[in-house]
Amino acid sequence: MKRFAVSAAALGFAFWLISALLNLPATLIDLRPLLAEAIPKSGVAHPVTAVLLNTRGYDTLLEIAVLLVALIGVLIAVPPGNPALSERPATADDAMVPALARLVAPLAVFFAIYVLWAGAHRPGGAFQAAAILAAALVLLHLAGLTAAWSAPTLRLRIGLIAGFLIFLAIAAAPLLGGMLLQYPPALVGTLILVIESGLTISLALVLAGLFLLLADRGGVR
Amino acid sequence: MIEHLTHLALPLLILLPLTSAALAFALGPGRGASLVIASSALQLLLALLLAATIGSAGPSHHAAGGWGAPLGIDLVADGLAAAMLLLTQGVALALFVFARGYFHQDSQDADHWAPAGRYFWPLASFLVAGMNALYLSEDIFNLYVTLELVGLAAVGLVASGGGATQTAAALRYLFAAILGSGAYLLGVALLYGSYGSVSIAALTPAIAASAPAVTTVALVAALLMVTGLLIKSALFPFHFWLPPAHGGSPAPVSALLSALVVKASIYLVLRLWLGPLQPLLAPFAWLPAILGASAILWGSWQAIRAERLKLLVAYSTVAQLGYLFIALPLAAASTTGVAPVAIVTLQAVAHGLAKAAMFAAAGIILHATGRDRVSDVAGIAERLPLTLFTFALAGVSLMGLPPSGGFLAKWLLIDLALAQGQWWLVAVIIAGGLLAAVYIFRVLRQAFLNLPEAEIEAEHQKARVVPRSAEWAAFALAASSILLGIFGGVPLLQLVGGSV
Repeated sequence: MKRFAVSAAALGFAFWLISALLNLPATLIDLRPLLAEAIPKSGVAHPVTAVLLNTRGYDTLLEIAVLLVALIGVLIAVPPGNPALSERPATADDAMVPALARLVAPLAVFFAIYVLWAGAHRPGGAFQAAAILAAALVLLHLAGLTAAWSAPTLRLRIGLIAGFLIFLAIAAAPLLGGMLLQYPPALVGTLILVIESGLTISLALVLAGLFLLLADRGGVR
Repeated sequence: MIEHLTHLALPLLILLPLTSAALAFALGPGRGASLVIASSALQLLLALLLAATIGSAGPSHHAAGGWGAPLGIDLVADGLAAAMLLLTQGVALALFVFARGYFHQDSQDADHWAPAGRYFWPLASFLVAGMNALYLSEDIFNLYVTLELVGLAAVGLVASGGGATQTAAALRYLFAAILGSGAYLLGVALLYGSYGSVSIAALTPAIAASAPAVTTVALVAALLMVTGLLIKSALFPFHFWLPPAHGGSPAPVSALLSALVVKASIYLVLRLWLGPLQPLLAPFAWLPAILGASAILWGSWQAIRAERLKLLVAYSTVAQLGYLFIALPLAAASTTGVAPVAIVTLQAVAHGLAKAAMFAAAGIILHATGRDRVSDVAGIAERLPLTLFTFALAGVSLMGLPPSGGFLAKWLLIDLALAQGQWWLVAVIIAGGLLAAVYIFRVLRQAFLNLPEAEIEAEHQKARVVPRSAEWAAFALAASSILLGIFGGVPLLQLVGGSV
């Protein structure tokens, strides 16, 4: 009975929400013309990338920190030297799977680089490229070609934070004469590409870590 | 030089802890601890500089990316934000010194850290970065990101205690935090849909202009945002997640969470309620006040009944947070006298200092006795006099005895309630102080009980060493909660009152 009442209330709220969102009045403030004006100065042609890395780049900086915190949370959940955690590669049952993974992984790297590059003028960018790379890492593990991760080594830890540190450095550098994240106009396109390249590597490791640190503990695979 | 530094203080207060957090993660706990402590000392200096500048020259602005709101994100520090930043950096620095001793104590080997301390430094530094960003943000979506940073780092810190009970408490905290920030985000989306901006500076006039005919969507948005924040603030009856999370964590974590983290979402409730959402939420001002009054009575009662020492301190937090909400309707109605927001801030700062000291002292006592029941603190007065003194000083501020900061805040609050004829609030505030005295003296009475000579010997035999630096860091926090009432109160009230 209680469950029924709660579901009914949630369903009613959802319906109200959808109908309210469909009937929103025109807003007093419209950001679209402002953004359209800003794009030529933003160093990229795609509005989403312009918002994520330029006008609201500060949000993105903090979001990378949130992802790192999530990864540390996973590390806490997996104590080092946990006997349940084996470093052996998982064995695939079928010879086709590793063969296919060997073929797909290099292609995934190429595709990730393309998606990263494309972010400047069409949908794409660091997050998407990182997700593709991370998927390739997970695939290699599932195909039995690479081991799951235990406690991260120093080299892996540096890899995890490198992209964030590059972003922080580029965000802080303009403070010498201006505002946080105020890219110099001449370099804006290059700097955004540098930030996105660093983020692609580090975010790929973070996203893969979320899976590979928990892999082989039974139930995940 | 000083002027340029002040201009940099806003972004640096966010960039410094972010950088030290990332580096502390790579370097590991040993060097990571030194780095985080050095960074927070620098942050404290910056916060002092910022408060001094704002006191004389007014609010400080910084447009991230150089775009300016509403397209970009603005950072703004007024007196209220500066006071919260000062509290955060000061308490964090003292607690980091405490934590270094606390996590390091059992080992002979300098590189050996208790498991709970392994990821403490990056998480705690990310936590401080998130809170600083929250106090400085002027953008309701950016505030959501800072809330996530604070919430996830806090959940990670609770989970780092290890063990099934801790993991369960962390999970419950995670669900509460996600429910809270989810409701807040839904509210932000609806407000953006209704008004077309997420900048507070742009929203405030837009909402005020629409006030005569408020749409249901805007009203629901405001209620969702505030309810989400109240869940995160553990206001009665949303306090269910707080006692297990705060009461079971390692002492430095409990202290950080109780002294600082809950204040961040309460700050947002006040800032939004008395700022842009005021026209929408005005009819509801009494609701948080009634819940706050219930929190004072219920939390104190649970603290009196608590069997475990840290659970007692955690329930005391539930009660003390209530004081921060009962001023809300008074603030909406007040026109003269000391600004109510300044009084609330004084209470938040006094409680932050006292509660950090009390959790740290409780941690030292638990570590020395190895047991966590209130009845086990017997004989502590002889073995840990400095720590017991710390606990008692913190208790003085929580009870609201003169000359502590807690006394000044509660006295001004009573004054304000009397001026507006709210007698029942006066009764609640006085009752809360008396109930606090009951649970504090419950501990002190036990501590002064004399153990038989033989038992004292036995206790001394198995006593574990607590580093002096940890004891003194806790004492510094308790002493500043008292000194706040003597020296700090008036400047703080002026700093906050002048700006809101």
